[in-house]
Amino acid sequence: MIKCVIWDIDNTLLAGVYLESGQQPPPPDPAMLGVLRELGGRGIIHALASRNPPEAAEYVARVTGISFAAAECGWDPKSEAIGRITGQLGLAADAMAFVDDDLLERAEVSFALPEVLVLSPEDACDAAGWPEFSPAVVTAEARRRGEMYAQRRRRQEEARAFGGSRDEFLRYCGTRVVIARAAAADVPRLHELSERTHQFNSAGAGLGQDRLAGLLDSAAHQVMIVALSDRFGDDGLVGGCIIETGSAAAWSVALLMMSCRAIGRGVVDALLAWLCQAAARAGARTVQVPCLVTARNVPLRIALASAGLRADTGARAPDAAVIFARQLTAPPPLPALPDWASAPEGHE
Amino acid sequence: MTGGARPSVADELRQILADVTGNPALLGISPQAALFGAGVGLDSLAGTLLLRRVRHRFGVDVAGEDLNLDSLATLGTLAAFIEERAAPQGP
Repeated sequence: MIKCVIWDIDNTLLAGVYLESGQQPPPPDPAMLGVLRELGGRGIIHALASRNPPEAAEYVARVTGISFAAAECGWDPKSEAIGRITGQLGLAADAMAFVDDDLLERAEVSFALPEVLVLSPEDACDAAGWPEFSPAVVTAEARRRGEMYAQRRRRQEEARAFGGSRDEFLRYCGTRVVIARAAAADVPRLHELSERTHQFNSAGAGLGQDRLAGLLDSAAHQVMIVALSDRFGDDGLVGGCIIETGSAAAWSVALLMMSCRAIGRGVVDALLAWLCQAAARAGARTVQVPCLVTARNVPLRIALASAGLRADTGARAPDAAVIFARQLTAPPPLPALPDWASAPEGHE
Repeated sequence: MTGGARPSVADELRQILADVTGNPALLGISPQAALFGAGVGLDSLAGTLLLRRVRHRFGVDVAGEDLNLDSLATLGTLAAFIEERAAPQGP
């Protein structure tokens, strides 16, 4: 599934060449403007990679009304600009498409980054109908995704200049994490997260909306959501987990997931801290997270290790997941819920 | 490797930690400094960037070789993990 389209500017998004147009730069290409808006409405984000001065990106953002999540303007190869954008956004190369009218640029990117879907502007018009560009559900969070990446860029710029500890920076940003029981209205977003998350996903398989709705009604499960906001903007529902609470002795987390957009903002650590604390309050002796170990979910393993969970190498879940677990009554001390996070207090 | 021109693995790790967290105070941490929790405060983002830099710089795939990431306990344990596995460098 494509999550981000990186656009060339000259003769692609603009009906002409920015620097060759004298006083008045060219208007946006109407067909590409339609594609930008259509894909944006589906939660696909947009970025710019152009051989132009940075003013060209500002001009394109103004005349299209699109919040570009990243913009790389310069004269180095487009594949390098695309690599930087991929890194900035925390996405994988195979989630990116690149649109350029220049055959040589397309060839260079195809050769250097074979995972990237490379398209001509004509292809891009058709591509809106392709399955790679057609997510099954589009949530409110998805439609605001481009705007949220723009907020993220402003947050990252401040983080670079900040210089203190991570915790100090999260406080400076006015970070708010809310952990709560999921409601029926959260099901489409939880389904979307289960399909789209990879770096923070313990199960490696999506969960259908019917299954999720069934779990909400199950007495043996707790389905939790995590919402995130700070003074740069509201990210909405960014994560969740499904806990099997049927056994009194151990809480087992069937699925733990978080949007990669929330990486570095204390969310997964707060969720794991709450999980340990809530399980201990409910009288459980251990918390366990069966986790399908992949090359992509290293960030999740780092969070598990940080919360004191260790792999029980003797125990494998039926699907070959490794079971990460920790005792709740023995050292290390349980991680503390930060005071900028709120969560249900009692146990049910 | 004592007193030579080449910085120690621990010194290079201090520089990488300061880079990936944006916190120059980490240039002065001791080998016993815990990487998780208060102090260094390594989180998923900084941890992932650290492991990526370690793989490029030393050719050691920490996440691939250490399922539990126990090597991330302290600056010293990570340096030792890398020193045991890194290919000898230079002339």
